[in-house]
Formats: sequence, structure tokens, C-alpha cells
Amino acid sequence: MATMKELKETTTVRQRVEEALAKAHASQPQLNAVVTFVDVEEQLTGLNEIADGPFYGMPIALKDNVCTQGIRTTASSKILDNYIPVYNAHIVDKLKAAGAIVIAKASMDELAMGGTNLTAATGPVYNPYDHSRMAGGSSGGSAALVAAGVVPFAIGSDTGDSVRKPASFCGVLGMKPTYGRISRYGIIPYSSSLDHVGYFTRSALDAAEALKVLAGRDDRDMTSSYEPVPDYAAALSSDVTGRKVAIFKNVIDALGNPQVKAMFEKTVEALKDRGAIVEEVSLREDLLKAILPAYYLIANCEATANHSNLDGIRFGVQQPGDSMEEIMIQSRTKGFGSLIRKRFVIGSYGLFVENQEKLFRQAQRVRRLIVENVAEMMKDYDILIAPASSDVAPKLDDHSRDELSDGYLIAENHMVIGNFTGYPSCTVPMGMLNGLPVGLNMTAKAWDEQSLFDFAAAMEEITGMKDATAEVME
Amino acid sequence: MEEIKDPAYFKELAHRLMFDLSDAEAADIAAEFETLGKQLTLLESIDTTGVEPMVYPFETPTAYLREDVVDHVISREDALVNAPKVRECHIVVPKVVK
Repeated sequence: MATMKELKETTTVRQRVEEALAKAHASQPQLNAVVTFVDVEEQLTGLNEIADGPFYGMPIALKDNVCTQGIRTTASSKILDNYIPVYNAHIVDKLKAAGAIVIAKASMDELAMGGTNLTAATGPVYNPYDHSRMAGGSSGGSAALVAAGVVPFAIGSDTGDSVRKPASFCGVLGMKPTYGRISRYGIIPYSSSLDHVGYFTRSALDAAEALKVLAGRDDRDMTSSYEPVPDYAAALSSDVTGRKVAIFKNVIDALGNPQVKAMFEKTVEALKDRGAIVEEVSLREDLLKAILPAYYLIANCEATANHSNLDGIRFGVQQPGDSMEEIMIQSRTKGFGSLIRKRFVIGSYGLFVENQEKLFRQAQRVRRLIVENVAEMMKDYDILIAPASSDVAPKLDDHSRDELSDGYLIAENHMVIGNFTGYPSCTVPMGMLNGLPVGLNMTAKAWDEQSLFDFAAAMEEITGMKDATAEVME
Repeated sequence: MEEIKDPAYFKELAHRLMFDLSDAEAADIAAEFETLGKQLTLLESIDTTGVEPMVYPFETPTAYLREDVVDHVISREDALVNAPKVRECHIVVPKVVK
């Protein structure tokens, strides 16, 4: 396979688009990563009026919570099975203006509320490296399509770690920029104070080029930022001499798999060998253990409110009923999966007047404490690093996790810090364990995506895993 | 967290959210609340005296009141195109006033 840059240099537009479509169809039985295949002919014709650039004639995939005018957008939920948006998300307009060709809408956990991609209405997405394992979620379809060499770029979204965790399980680069860096207009929301647009690539250079295209203020997303957008690719450097790296010690201590720990230690040595200054930092343990419950409350409370419009009346799949109430109840009961309805119940519970102060508001207060403590912890460093997952991708039927253990509360959920703080955070391949990838997560300070791209470039040289792909077709 | 709620409580709560839970789903939630309750104890144990809730990550203002001019218009047909039942430019629902 090849990165975006290499594809541009070695193929014609039609060659690379047709090859991507053929691979997407051929890999569907093994991966189940696509919800809807998109017709490309009209898009190819439209290229005549577009200037050359990194996305020119480049086949890409979009997570299925990205609204696409005239193209079915389901967010992998049955209730949106027939939903055809009448408008494009802001990022779709931007990508199309840059010449990107959308070939597929990718599977995801239903309404982005999950970390496994087992809850999609179309069934699980399978890991390209081992089809008996999960791709991770919620952006699992996008991650799998990039990892399988179908497309060199795919959009995802990240509310807890929904780009960075599947990137780890699938061995690709998963980027979540700073909150407000990319407009969310036209993305079906999950939790508005935590949702970020993110994306997957197979190289640091592609990731740097992509952010220049995607970033910038959009008045239709009033949380999008006025911060200027630098030319990340022009400034890209893998020289990390003198750059300061903080090891997230609590996470390392909570790792259950000694092989992941050893892989991480090897990475640290390699960064030191390249001249980086590496030191250990720690966060208050009580705050770390509160990350998951605080996240769970904030995300589910916001989701309950955001998804109250999904009722089968104005849009979406409607079930029959003799009254408005019956139609709504039937449509929502049959339209939402079991996990989603359970999460809405928890969210609603947290928003009750009698619970709001001690649960939802307490979660928001703890969020502030976590953010302030992380800012203090990172103030003297360029990036904070830790493994993106405590192990390789789990088996599809693995229910063995202990949800009260440090290994789960800390090692599996620390990346939520990137959503609480809004700081840019990215996962890159760190190495392979028994033929399966494991990622390194790196977080920088607000608006400093450049440091992440630079260290991603350094990691490519350390691991040799630039453009890593799995062979999924027989 | 206070006392653990029973499955019937969650079924009633779901109904107020305009959906139903099966008996098995309600029982699942009741069981999950036991774990969640323990996790929430970790949250409740943190002293947040004098700490303001954080609603968004950054304080820098990005929202403003725009001029009151028409912008990004969609047609009436487009506005109704995803509604399951439409008649004479209205969304059709069962009779509300009996």
C-alpha cells in the first residue's frame, strides 16, 4: 500500500480510486467496515475545477456520523437507517473542495457510544490483523479501512478515545486535534463538551497535511476556534533533540501486560537515544481513578439530551402507533440498541434535579480539577506519553475486564484526559506483539499539534511502521 | 450513591425517556448500577469545595450573536424530505386532541 503522498506520485486519480473501491468491496466479508459504498463518478467529474493538493483525487472514508448530502448517514443506528442528510458537514465541504473522493461511509459503535465497534447496527467490525478480534471503537470502521490499506485517510470522531484506541488496535496513526480546531458542524453529536473530529492516516506527513485542510474557524460551530492554522507539514521535523517528554508514570504502573511495558521502555530508550529529554510525571491517584466515572456521567448526560430529537417523527425510522407517544416509544425502543438505551437511562438519572448537583455537577467539578492538575503536570514538557492500550486488541467475546481495577480505570481509560482538557492527542504504532499492533499515545498542550506530528515522524523512524498495513484479502 | 434501585425503577425511568426496556435489560442496568455505584464513590470522595463546574475545555470566547440575516437556507421540500409521513407541507402524526 502507500501513503497519500506516495499514492499521488505513483498512480492516476482513477487508478487509485478504483483500486480503493475494489479493495473496500473485497475486504468487506472479512472486515465488515463499510455501512454504505458511495458512488464516485460524479465526484471524479467535479475534480476538473479543483486545484492540486494533498487530497486531490484521493480516496477517503468517512465515519458514518458525518453528514453527507444525498448519501445515507446512519451513525450505525437502526433509528437512522433511512436518514439522508440534505447538507454536508463542514469537513465534507472542506475535503471535497480539496479534491477528496469519498468512497465509503464507515461503521462505528452505535451513535459513537462505545469502544468496541461491536454495537453497530450492521454488526461488528473485525480487526484487520486478526478477524477474531475487535477493531476498537467507536471509529472502528475508519481505523480498519486505513489499516487494511483500503484508503490512506479516514475521518473518525473522538469523545473518550474513539480515534486513539482503534488506532492502537489497528496499527495506524489516529489524531485527535485540540478541541475547537476542527468544526463539528454536521457531525451527529454524542457529548458536545467532549466530542472532537479526528482522523486516521498511515504517516505523520499525511496527518500534518490533513490538519491544514480540516482545521479553522467555522461560524456554524460556535465552539470552533479562531486560532490561526499553521503549515504543519512545512514545519515537520523528526529531530526531537532537546525536546521534553513526560512519561505518564501512573499509567505505566497500572499496566498489566509486561510485554507492553517492555515495548514502552524500549520506545523511551529510543527517544532518549535521539536526544529527547525524558522524565517521569504523576497525577493524583484519586483524580485518575475518577476519570472514568466523571466521563461516564458527563458523556451520558449530554448524550441523553442530544439524542432526544431521535423520535421517528421528523426523521428516522418510524414504527407504527396509535398516538404520538406510542410512535415515539416504539420508534426509540426498536431504533436504539440495548446498550444505548441503558446509557440514556444512566444519563437521565444523573440529570435528575435531586442527583444533578452530586453527580453531573460533581463530575464537571472533578473535570476541572483533573484539567488543572494535568496542565500543571505538563507545563514543562512538550508531550506526555503512555501506551494507548494495556494490551493488544481483545477477542470479540472477551468480557474478562475488571471494571474496578487500576488496569481498567487507569491504563485503559487515561486517554479521556485529552477530551477533558481539549489538548491534542494522537496514537501512533509502537510495535507488534504476537502479530498484533500496540500504539503509543502522545498528548501535547493546547494548539501544539506540531509537537505531535514531529514525534510521530520520529516514531516512524524508530519503529519502521510508517505505512503499516495488514493483508486481509485471501 | 444511595441505595441500589430495582429493575422496575429503571423500566419506569426508561419510559419517561420515551423507550422501553425488556425485563432482562432492566435487570442488567440494576446489576451495572452496583459497579457504577462503586465507581461513583470514587467521584464523590473528591473534595471539590470552591471548584466551579467545567462546561467546556477553554474559556476563550468563540460564540457571539451574529447579525439577524438569513443564512444557509434550505427549501421546504428539503426540510421535510426525511419525515416519514408528510401531507401538504406538514408532518403527519396521529390525532392529538381526542
